[in-house]
Amino acid sequence: MIPSTPADQKPKSIPRAYSHPGLPEPADKNYAVIGKSKPKIDAREKVTGQARYTADLKFPNMLYGKILTSPHAHARILSIDTSEAEKIPGVKAVITHKDVPTLKYGIAPARWDENIFCIETVKFVGDKVAAVACIDEETCYKALKAIKVEYEVLPAVLDPLHAMDADAPQIHPEYPLNKNTEIHQNFGDVDEAFRKADYVRTDFFIGNRTYQAPLEPHTATSIWQDGKLTVYSSTQSPHYFQYYIAREFGLPMGNVRVIKTYVGGGFGGKLEPTGLEFGGAVLARLTGRPVKMFYDRAEMFAHNRGRHRQYMKLTTGVNADGRILGVHADFIMDGGAYTSLGIASAYYAGAMLTLTYDFENYRFDMNRVYTNLPACGAQRGHGAPQPRYAFEAHLDNIAKELGIDPMEIRLRNARKPNTITPNEFVVNSCEMVACLEQARDLSGWADKKGKLPAGRGIGVATGSFVSGAGYPIYRTDLPQAAAMIKVAEDGTAATLYTGATDIGQGSDTVLCQMAAEAMGYTYEQMKIVAADTETTPHDFGAYASRQTLMSGAAVKEAGEEVRKQLLDMAGEMLGLPAEQLDVRLGKISAKENPETALSFEEAARTFFVKKGPLMGRGSYAPPKLGGKFKGAPVGTSPAYSFAAQVSEVEIDEETGVVTVLDVWDVHDCGQVINPALLHAQVHGALYMGMGESIWEEVRFDAKGKIQNPTLGEYRLPTALDMPRVHSSLVPSYEPAGPWGVKEVGEGATLPTMGCFRNAIFDAMGVSVNSLPLTPEKVWAALREKRKANGEDVWDPLACECFLE
Amino acid sequence: MFLPDFDYYAPESLTEAIGLLMQLGPSARVLAGGTDILVKMKSGLLAPSALVSLKNLHELRRIRWDADRGLVIGALATHNEICNSAVVQERFLSLAEAAHKLANNQIRNRGTIGGNLVNAIPSADLPPILIALGAYVTLKGSDGSRTLPVECFFTGVSRCALEPEREILTEVVIPPQETTGSTYLKFGLRQSGALAVVGVAAAVTMEGDVVRDARICLGAVYKTPTRAIQAEQILVGKRWNNNLLEEAGRAAVGCCLPISDIRGSAEYRRDLVRIFTRRALKCAITKGHV
Repeated sequence: MIPSTPADQKPKSIPRAYSHPGLPEPADKNYAVIGKSKPKIDAREKVTGQARYTADLKFPNMLYGKILTSPHAHARILSIDTSEAEKIPGVKAVITHKDVPTLKYGIAPARWDENIFCIETVKFVGDKVAAVACIDEETCYKALKAIKVEYEVLPAVLDPLHAMDADAPQIHPEYPLNKNTEIHQNFGDVDEAFRKADYVRTDFFIGNRTYQAPLEPHTATSIWQDGKLTVYSSTQSPHYFQYYIAREFGLPMGNVRVIKTYVGGGFGGKLEPTGLEFGGAVLARLTGRPVKMFYDRAEMFAHNRGRHRQYMKLTTGVNADGRILGVHADFIMDGGAYTSLGIASAYYAGAMLTLTYDFENYRFDMNRVYTNLPACGAQRGHGAPQPRYAFEAHLDNIAKELGIDPMEIRLRNARKPNTITPNEFVVNSCEMVACLEQARDLSGWADKKGKLPAGRGIGVATGSFVSGAGYPIYRTDLPQAAAMIKVAEDGTAATLYTGATDIGQGSDTVLCQMAAEAMGYTYEQMKIVAADTETTPHDFGAYASRQTLMSGAAVKEAGEEVRKQLLDMAGEMLGLPAEQLDVRLGKISAKENPETALSFEEAARTFFVKKGPLMGRGSYAPPKLGGKFKGAPVGTSPAYSFAAQVSEVEIDEETGVVTVLDVWDVHDCGQVINPALLHAQVHGALYMGMGESIWEEVRFDAKGKIQNPTLGEYRLPTALDMPRVHSSLVPSYEPAGPWGVKEVGEGATLPTMGCFRNAIFDAMGVSVNSLPLTPEKVWAALREKRKANGEDVWDPLACECFLE
Repeated sequence: MFLPDFDYYAPESLTEAIGLLMQLGPSARVLAGGTDILVKMKSGLLAPSALVSLKNLHELRRIRWDADRGLVIGALATHNEICNSAVVQERFLSLAEAAHKLANNQIRNRGTIGGNLVNAIPSADLPPILIALGAYVTLKGSDGSRTLPVECFFTGVSRCALEPEREILTEVVIPPQETTGSTYLKFGLRQSGALAVVGVAAAVTMEGDVVRDARICLGAVYKTPTRAIQAEQILVGKRWNNNLLEEAGRAAVGCCLPISDIRGSAEYRRDLVRIFTRRALKCAITKGHV
C-alpha cells in the first residue's frame, strides 16, 4: 500500500457548527403541484415506442461510421495502411490520427490525456486507432477489417497494485510511476486520535470494476455544415459536450450545437464526449454528410468509464463506547488507461467518508494509477460507494469487537444538522438519526438482531451524497443552471426551456412541476424544451445529483418572474394591487375576497396583447463553498442527502448463495417534488447497488481483454433477483434548496454494498472483504470458518476420480 | 456485430430440407430457433454459406403422448412450448421445469429443443433431465432414420453424433417408464438468463423407501453431459437416508471433471456437484412426480 505520509498541514480548528442563512422552512406547505406523483411528462411517448432516441434518427444522405480499436493492451503502432479499405465500394472516408486534431482532450482539465486516435501507442484493448464512414453499417465492418495496423506489443500494466513499481512499464511518459492522481489530505490530528483511542482497528477491502451498462448504447450523429457542427447525442450533458467538442476543433461554442434526444440511461457513463462525437465530427466534415456512429454492447464495455476498482485500507480509533475519534483512509484505485473523471473519483472516494458519521480527525491518502485497462470514470455515486462499503463493514467489525449493536454504534456517531465535516463541508439539513431510527423500526431490528433463525442475517449501513457539485468540472464563472419560461400567447400553455438533461430519471417532469408551482399554473399545461445548447439556456447537465436542487432553483426563479408579471397585469385588470392577488393552478383570485377571480389565461393573453411575450428567466449559482486545501472543492455541495438502509438476507450455508429478502431504505432528501419518481430512483439505485454487491464485475484475461463484455456474462440482476423493497422517507427541509429539496438519484446507491456485507456477517459470522459478494466467495469464507472451528470439511478436490 | 452473408432457404418439407443439406454441402447449417447459431455467426465464430430454416416444417413442432413410444417432442418445439405443454407437465413435469430454468423468457420463446441438443454445449439445461429419463432422439437422413439415446448423442464440447450435411434431428422421445420421481436442479449465478454452473438431473424408481433404480446426469462439469454411474450404484437396492444421498453426492464428484472459468472454480463446481446431486436425489425421491 501507499506509505503513510507525514502530516503536511498543521491541525487546525474548524468550526463544528453552522447555521444556514437561507430561507426558513415555511409553515404552510399546501403546495398545488409539487409533492404530488404526477405522471412522467414523456411516459406516453416512451411506452408507445414513439420516443425517438439518437439511434432512431435518420437524415438524408446519412453515412454510418465505426471505429477500429486496438486488440492489444499496450503496443506501439508501427504503421497503419488504409489503402485497401479505401478501395471498398461504399467507403466514403477512412481516418487515422493523421486526419484529426492532435490536441489532447479529457473531461477533467487537470489531465487531458486522450487523443481522438492513438498516435504512438495504444493503451488498452479497445483504444481508438482509426475510423470509417460508409454508406451502410455492413460496409463499415468490411472496411475496418481491411485496415492493416502493424503493432509492436509492449509489456502491459494489468495489476494496479504493481502499477507504481519502479520496473513497471510506463503508460503515459508524462506521468512517472503511472501515478495519475496522488492525494494526501490531513484534517485534525489522526495520530493523536489513535493514541487517545481505546480501540484502533485496521481492515482491508477490495472493490470491483463495474460498468454502468445503460440500456441504450452510446450513439452520436454529427452534421458539419457551413462551418457549424450539429451533434445529436445520447448525452448526460450537452454543455460539456459542446465545450469540449468546440475546444477540440477550435470552433466558437456558438458554432457547435449539441442536442440530446431521449436517453436510455447514463449513470455517469455518458457525461463526456467519446470517439463517436470526435471521430464522427471529422468524418462528417470530410464527407460533407451526416454521420451516425454508435457503440455496440462490447464496444460500450471497452469504452467503459465505469466504476473504479479500489483497494481500501481503513484504520479507525474509537472510544470504548464506540465514538469515532479518527479515521485514516489509505486507498489505491485502478484508473485504467486514461483520466476521464478519475481525478474527481479519487477525491470523492475519501471526501465523502466524513459525511454520515461525525468525527474530527481524518487522513486520506490515495493514488489513482494508470493501467492498460479501459478507463474508469463516474458511476452512480462516483468514487464514494466502494469506500462506503469498506467503511460500513469496518464499522461493523469495530462494533462486534466492542460488543455494541451495529445500529447503536451508528446512532452514537450519526451526523447532526448544521454541522461542518473535518474536510469543511457545510451540512445544513441532516436527518441521519431519524433515518437510522426509522429503518430500525420499520425493519423490526430489535426483534431480529441476534434472534433470526440460522442462515438469516440483518445488516445496516448509511449513505450520503451531494445535491449537485459545488463547482463545475472545468473552471468557469458560468452559473450552474439557467431557465426560461415562455407563456403561450393565449395563456393555455407554457414552455419551460432548460439545459437540464432528462436521461430517464425524470428531470423534465419534476422541473415542469416546479415551474407550474412557481407560476401558479397547472403541470398538465406545461411543455418543455430541454438539453439543446442552441435553444435552451445553459445548464451543466445530469451528474452529481444536481438538477432537482440546482436546475430547480433556476426554474423556480423563472416561474416566480412569470407569476409576478402576471399578477401585476391581473392587478391592473381587476383594479387591485398585485400584492392582494394570488394565483394557484391557473386561477387568479384576491386573497381577501376569493370571489374576485380571473383566469391565468385571460391575464396572460392580455399581457401579450399589451406588453409582448410573457416570459420568466432564472439562474442559479451556489455560494462559495469549501475549504482552501488542495482538492477542497470536490465533495462540496449546497446540500447533502442522507440515507440509512437495513437489509435482511438468507444464506445457503452449503452453496454460499445469498438471497436478499427485504431491504428497508429510508431517505432524507428534503422536500419531495414527485414521490413516485423519488421511490423509483430509490428502487433503481438499490437495483444498481445490488448488482454491484453480488453479481457485477468486469473481468479480464491475462492479456487485458474483457472476458465478459455481454449482458449474458456481465450479470446485472434480473427482476426475479430483486428483494422486497421498502422505500421510506423522513420529514426534512433543506434551506439551501428551492422549496427545501435535496438529491436522491445517487445517494441511494451508497449504502447497499456495505449493508449486504454486514447482513452476511450477521448471518454467518464471516466477512467477505472484496466485492462482489459472490456465492463462491461466501462459500469459501464459510469453509475457512468451519476449518478454523475444527469442523470436518470435505475436500472436493481430494475425492476418488472414476473417470479414465 | 453484423451477420455475414449467407443464402437462406425455408423448405416446405423434411425431404426437401434434407435434400438441400446434401446439395449445399458441409458449410450449410440448419436454423431452428437461431438463439445459438445467429450469435455465433454475428461474433464471427461460424460463417455458414447457407442456412436452411426449418420454420415451415410444422409437423416438427408437435408435442404428443403416444401410448407405445411415450412422450414425443418435435425438434422445433420451443422451450416455452415445452414448459407450457399440458401433456409434458402431466407426464414429465421435471422436463417442463427444466425448460423453464433455461435462459430467459425471450430465448425460451425462440429456442428449440432440437437446437438445444445439436448445439451441444456442456451446460445445456435439457440434456441432463432427458438423459436421466432415458430419452432418445430420431435423426432423419435421405436414406432413412436412426435413433440414438441422448446419452450417446454428445461427443464433445459443441460436438454431437448428428451428421449435419445429411441429417436433421426431428424428435425427442421419452419412453414410458417405471420412474417414480425425477428432477433437474440448476445452479446459475442469477435467477434468469444465466448458464448453468452446475446442473444435476436425477430420476429414481422407488419401492417404498428402497431405491430400485437411479439415474443421475451432471451438466456443465464435463465435456458432455455425463452420467454419474458410481453415484447411482451406491443407491440401488438401498433404503434411502440423508447419509446415503450425501455418499452418492460425493461419488458423483468423482464422475465429473469441471474446469475453472469466470463462472466458477473447479473446486467450487465439484462441491456444488456433491450438494446438488444430494438435493436432486432427495427432491426426486420425495417430490412425488416424474
